Amino acid sequence: MNLMANILLNVLIAFLIGSLLFGLQRKVMARIQTRPGPPIIQHLLHTLKFFIKESSFPYTAAMPFYIAIASMLCAIWVSAVIVGPVIEGSLLLFFGIYALQKIVEHNAGSSSGSPYGKLSCVRAVFSAAAEVPLFAVLVIIYLQTQTMVISDIINYQAVNGPLIFTIPLAALMFFVLILSKSPYSPFAITKGKDIVSGYETEHFGVLRGYLMISESIAWYMLLWVFLTVFIGPLGILGYLVGMVAISVLIAFINSITPLLNPNHSIMVQITFAFIGIVGSLVLMLVM
Amino acid sequence: MTTLKVSSYAIFLLSISGIIYALLFNPADWIVYAISIVLIPTFILSLGLILMAQVKKEEEDERRNEPFIGY
Repeated sequence: MNLMANILLNVLIAFLIGSLLFGLQRKVMARIQTRPGPPIIQHLLHTLKFFIKESSFPYTAAMPFYIAIASMLCAIWVSAVIVGPVIEGSLLLFFGIYALQKIVEHNAGSSSGSPYGKLSCVRAVFSAAAEVPLFAVLVIIYLQTQTMVISDIINYQAVNGPLIFTIPLAALMFFVLILSKSPYSPFAITKGKDIVSGYETEHFGVLRGYLMISESIAWYMLLWVFLTVFIGPLGILGYLVGMVAISVLIAFINSITPLLNPNHSIMVQITFAFIGIVGSLVLMLVM
Repeated sequence: MTTLKVSSYAIFLLSISGIIYALLFNPADWIVYAISIVLIPTFILSLGLILMAQVKKEEEDERRNEPFIGY
């Protein structure tokens, strides 16, 4: 297939499936909380709705940075789609993309001029301090497989079995990272309702829809990386079942867990990172 | 608003041309990656800026002079 067509197709799939999974997550959360909840397609409809709403830009916004930062979020997750499903490139690039995502959260908050955005901007730095150590999961994967390239990791698993069985604590670390990025997560301190919508508070109308597209792609990509790196070679059905299963599990966790305050959130994440790194190293030495 | 409209159409045309170029002419991989990373987001943004609803003429003043409720 033509490379550009391949990229466009993958971006479209990532957006549509990511949006539907977010919708599914809200539905499951609602049912657990004995509410009917919105239809599964609601998140996708919301995203599209924002594109035809009247938009305005706050006087306090730092233009053009305020708009450019939303574009940057989209650009980095399009890059993730290229590094992931399209070329099955290096996990290190994915780490770079994730680090950029934290910078976007930080700058989107500060560029709007809103105090809620600024508070979220501070929290983004705070949470990066916890989420980046969680990404040390890459070191564990490298030590186990001797490679960082996704296609080689897939081949390794085809021969030696899924990594989730050999380095389960590393898989747990990555799962906590995914959990941190989900809406209504106990670790979602940058978008906690105590600061309205965090760094997105002043991005409304078309820019909110734009951010939501990027977030849907991001959600799909995080699940894709988890399934590819820890479960191994999967078909389309395998990916779909895996993504739905993880989204439902996360919805269950989110619906019964309150949002942690920033200090607790960071400490819990760092504890998971510590247990994951040390535990994985011990397991690798023993086994 | 006119400046925004004109620049949105310009960016939209530029990004759609770049994407069609990559689709039709199959340039080197790094060019396709660059086009994808830069032009897909700008395509979505410009499309949004073109499609978004415009403020009605009679409501424009209300929008501009809304008292700043402050932070």
